[in-house]
Amino acid sequence: MPIAGPIEALLAVTVVGAVTVFLTPDEYAAKLATGISLVPVAVSLWMYSVFEAGGNALTGGDLAFESTLAWISLGQYELAYHVGLDGVSLPLLLLTTVLTTLALVSSWTPIGERESQFYGLMLLMEASLIGVFAALDFLLWLVFWEFVLIPMYFLIGVWGGPRRKYAAIKFFVYTNVATLVMFIGFAALIFGLGDSISSFDLPEIAQALRTGGNLETFVGIEPPVLRLAAFTLMFAGFAVKVPVFPLHTWLPDAHVEAPTPVSVMLAGVLLKMGTYALLRFNFTMLGETAKANAGIIVAFGVLSVIYGALLALAQRDLKRIVAYSSISSMGYVILGLVAFTPHGFGGATFQMLSHGLISGLMFMAVGVIYNETHTRMVGDISGIADRMPWAVGVFVAAAFGYMGLPFMSGFAAEYIVFQGAFASQVIPAAPLVTAVTMFGIVVVAGYLLWAMQRTLFGEYSLETDYDVTRAPVQDVVPLVVLLVLVIALGSAPGLVYGMIQDAVNPLLYGGVLPW
Amino acid sequence: MAIVTQYYLVLSAAVFCIGVYGILTRSNALMFLMSVELLLNAANINLVAFSFYYGNLTGQVFTLFTMALAAAEVAVGIGIILVLYRNFEDIDVTKAATMRW
Amino acid sequence: MAGAYDFVPAIAALPLLAFVVSLFFGQYLPRRGAEAGIVATAGSLVLSMWTALTVAGVTGSATTYNENLYTWVAGLADSAVTLRLGVLVDPLTALMLLIVSLISLLVHVFSLGYMNDEGETGLPRYYAGLGLFTASMLGFVFANNLLMAFMFFELVGLCSYLLIGFWFRDAGPPSAAKKAFLVTRFGDYFFLIGVVGVFATFGTGLFAPIEGAETLHSFPELAEEAIASGASEAGVQTFFGLGPEAWFTVLGLLVLGGVVGKSAQFPLHTWLPDAMEGPTPVSALIHAATMVAAGVYLVARMYGFYLLSPTALAIIALVGGFTALFAATMGVVKQELKQVLAYSTISQYGYMMLALGAGGYTAAVFHLTTHAVFKALLFLGAGSVIIAMHHEENMWTMGGLRERMPVTYYTFLSGSLALAGIVPFAGFWSKDEVLYEALIHGLGSEGSIGTLLLAGYAMGLLAVFFTAFYTFRMVFLTFHGKPRTDTARDPEPVRWNVKLPLAVLGIGAATVGFINMVPVKKVTGAEIDYLHKWLAHGGIELTTSEHYGELLHDVAHIEQAELGPLAPGAVSLLLALAGVGAAWTLYNVPEPEEHTDRLGGVKTLLMHNYYQDEYQVWLAQGVTVQLARAADKFDQGVVDGVVNGISSVSLFVGSRFRRIQSGVVVNYATLMTLSLVLLLLAFVVAGGVL
Repeated sequence: MPIAGPIEALLAVTVVGAVTVFLTPDEYAAKLATGISLVPVAVSLWMYSVFEAGGNALTGGDLAFESTLAWISLGQYELAYHVGLDGVSLPLLLLTTVLTTLALVSSWTPIGERESQFYGLMLLMEASLIGVFAALDFLLWLVFWEFVLIPMYFLIGVWGGPRRKYAAIKFFVYTNVATLVMFIGFAALIFGLGDSISSFDLPEIAQALRTGGNLETFVGIEPPVLRLAAFTLMFAGFAVKVPVFPLHTWLPDAHVEAPTPVSVMLAGVLLKMGTYALLRFNFTMLGETAKANAGIIVAFGVLSVIYGALLALAQRDLKRIVAYSSISSMGYVILGLVAFTPHGFGGATFQMLSHGLISGLMFMAVGVIYNETHTRMVGDISGIADRMPWAVGVFVAAAFGYMGLPFMSGFAAEYIVFQGAFASQVIPAAPLVTAVTMFGIVVVAGYLLWAMQRTLFGEYSLETDYDVTRAPVQDVVPLVVLLVLVIALGSAPGLVYGMIQDAVNPLLYGGVLPW
Repeated sequence: MAIVTQYYLVLSAAVFCIGVYGILTRSNALMFLMSVELLLNAANINLVAFSFYYGNLTGQVFTLFTMALAAAEVAVGIGIILVLYRNFEDIDVTKAATMRW
Repeated sequence: MAGAYDFVPAIAALPLLAFVVSLFFGQYLPRRGAEAGIVATAGSLVLSMWTALTVAGVTGSATTYNENLYTWVAGLADSAVTLRLGVLVDPLTALMLLIVSLISLLVHVFSLGYMNDEGETGLPRYYAGLGLFTASMLGFVFANNLLMAFMFFELVGLCSYLLIGFWFRDAGPPSAAKKAFLVTRFGDYFFLIGVVGVFATFGTGLFAPIEGAETLHSFPELAEEAIASGASEAGVQTFFGLGPEAWFTVLGLLVLGGVVGKSAQFPLHTWLPDAMEGPTPVSALIHAATMVAAGVYLVARMYGFYLLSPTALAIIALVGGFTALFAATMGVVKQELKQVLAYSTISQYGYMMLALGAGGYTAAVFHLTTHAVFKALLFLGAGSVIIAMHHEENMWTMGGLRERMPVTYYTFLSGSLALAGIVPFAGFWSKDEVLYEALIHGLGSEGSIGTLLLAGYAMGLLAVFFTAFYTFRMVFLTFHGKPRTDTARDPEPVRWNVKLPLAVLGIGAATVGFINMVPVKKVTGAEIDYLHKWLAHGGIELTTSEHYGELLHDVAHIEQAELGPLAPGAVSLLLALAGVGAAWTLYNVPEPEEHTDRLGGVKTLLMHNYYQDEYQVWLAQGVTVQLARAADKFDQGVVDGVVNGISSVSLFVGSRFRRIQSGVVVNYATLMTLSLVLLLLAFVVAGGVL
């Protein structure tokens, strides 16, 4: 099949848009970039409406909008431009396009210098994120995967807070080293597979690995050891991106220094790259290895949940609170993935989407308060509910979403994960582990309620020399849109959960759909 | 009687060594540039000698390329030296030790 | 033809609509959104009545209704459960729908007087909160499965947060709201584990089976079957190698966590007295019909499951009995009107739990009903007093309000008599039946369960005295004697919108008990135990009190002793009268004194609520926050320290290596030449020339 079109259109629009915005004068850049970013939203919504593929992209299921184009011939390997979507990647693609537009709108107020460069980089990041979720060839995927770091590095390093250089370099080096580690693991697998593959096509590699017999001894390493080593290296590499305890310390620094819209993208989409890759690589290709080591993997998940929540409890900076709670929330994804049940995988994927929306919402809400008060410290602000009622109202709603209030997407995702994990045959003492993990929902309520009580309510006072007034409309609109999405997904998870199940169930039923 | 190729090679080696010696000992930028020219020409002599030895014209053609390149290099090099002089009132290469000043 | 059941979802949808209207358009309405709430709850009340009539068989043939209406999360694979939302209407649901919508309507009307007439700001937010509160509670009431119940249960928690923290400008309400949500969240944590566990165990969370082409079984039904014929026979999966009975006990206790939190039972009762920071009508709603009632209602809803586990029942009874006594003693020393009522709520819900634990299903529902009426009345009465006293709540500043606000006084008195359990007011009949059930089942059962039930009964009986005492202490201090302040001498008058709800409830508090006069039936033989009959009938056999009676006997092995109702009734009435008498002697004087001072150290203990708050705050702040701080130190020091350490090491190594890069061209040239020479030498050596 040659070129299908929609994915290429998305990439083209965002890249060309990025270049155009770079060349635009600063005063028009914001509106222009936002306008351009509406095109991917429209295209991806159209893709959602016509999507009807079933099955998992890597195990031989149908693919939507698939394109293949020969690219490089490298000895025995034929490298190709190969993209396509299934029920896992489409929701994440939608998340990317929608969240980018909203993040762009939320940049109007806080970003006041070098605007054309800022907005251009944001669009460039969108392009590479689309690529990450759509690519099905390893080299192509790796190019997009690494390219994401470049705009992100500049976005933090140029428009960030006082310690931006430290944060940007830490982010860049940490994740880059992680990619290297992951690459070593995957390369070992490719060499181990030897003649049984003829390309770096991810579906081909996945199927070769899943059938199990094709792995050969590579530089004296036996196949089982090779699997385990590759799994470990890849897990460590992706775990940095997620991030999983103890590889998480780049995240709070990056979030605190990054400007609000960049935090939104970082928490909303970039972290999902890690769990998406875990699902695609570790849990699809090396499922048996994951099952055999479920006890260890789940320990990392549980630790992330509880430890992240505890850390959030100890913070005073609102952004740090949300940053640490992101670590906590992503731990649920690990729990879901390692359960190896339909609802486990499904819930984990749904949690990626849900957390993308809710953490984006939360960071934006903090950003709106920061725009008015110029501080994020609990204790410096109190009683602003009177001054900016609608923004505070949405903040409260967002916080309850984060706490897992029913009829909001966070509850749906977490509940599905818990349901999937509770009856898992793979996790040792699954009900107990699940119950321990669930304690996260109490701690999260603790720190968010505490922070809200201190900052939003009580008598009005502010330590900085600004006067709090109603938040501008452009600040509140993206919040409301996200809130509506969160409630819609929480009330009707079926909007995406059907396609997610289509895509993840083959992982449990020998690569094909059980129905 | 044709001159055997070895002589050419010895000549080339000698020119090359002189060039290297120049680079290692001199700090004057002009002397530097001249030493580099010597290195290049040592290579040229080799190319022409082998080309002649094998009866193959490729080496000679490449020598022409090298000469053109050397000319360009001198142009750029002298430009750099002029800038150096403007900034340092001197053309001592050991003084220009940082990328920016 | 569309019957009443088709409109059941609308019972919750109407207040939800009112929430939206009040929130977004309330500021443009003359009464700031109260209109929407009143119309919606009135609509809900009408629909609830219609539903109740249909359940009674008056306006339709089907007396129950149980359908799944919406697939929330579809589990497509075999091993993945499907989560649905649906409606279950049976006599219990119908009764509760009536109570909730009635109380909510009255609270809305009362709010006109308490909030609008007092010139409060932020009213659209207030009425939106009330609407959502009512909607979530109604949704919870007709939920047909455990997950749906949990979802609405949590929404109820959210609404309590919003409404308790309504006056967010002061320091107290936001803190109380946080505490209410957090403490109940702690209970809900266990509930959520229970929900997940029930679905994992049974594959369904239905409260009652749905008959149809393919019968969908309910989880109490499957549990019953599993106990009778083994887990695998019933298609039930237990965990940790536990037998069905033990595992069901675990599940039941987990769900009970949520109940203890929401119904403010020991040890998670601490949020409720603090919740008095909210507006008084909200307190009425929380205590009488919504949040606190939710817990007990949940146990009643899935009673068929609890009956399978005598251990769980015994724990419920013991927690209930203990809470009843424990809270009643604290009520004795409180000085604020609403605080006394708060502790009485905790205590009264303890009675309901005692009844449920003792197998007195009907008694519990009966007490839930009467309590809803008289506690709503008492809170609204207290609200009326608070309006009159310009938001002063300390009873010691009141006195002598009897002459100045007669409507409030007489209705409040009616509620107090009901609360104290004086014949023939509502509370007497229900409380008497609760204690009677506990006594006969305690006497009839053998072994430890009998002892535990009797212990619960003893505590409940003792609490009767305290209840009557603090209730009438409150009445006398507030309304009798001489006015002790200027405000009490000249209270602000209240309008019809306050008096009307009081009158309705005042009559109710005196008469609701007549729906179930079991002692009178036993003596005269007249068939007047209407509530018993109401709960015993119904198309879904598995949720009738008849079936529960069988289970109690066959599975839980809790037996009834033969004992007439008159003697126990007389005992509890005497105790109540003794309490009233004690209060009369001590406080019905023109210038009452603080007799509680004589209690000395005990008073301090009671005023500090047995230091329950202190240890819970310590658990939260002293332990958890300290742990969090330690984790933060560890994270910054050790985990991030390693990361920064690695970078420091590389920076250090780099700084050393950088010295080679002197910037002097000649040095580079030297290095290159040397390296080339070395390389050549290496080749020469390796090539074997030398």
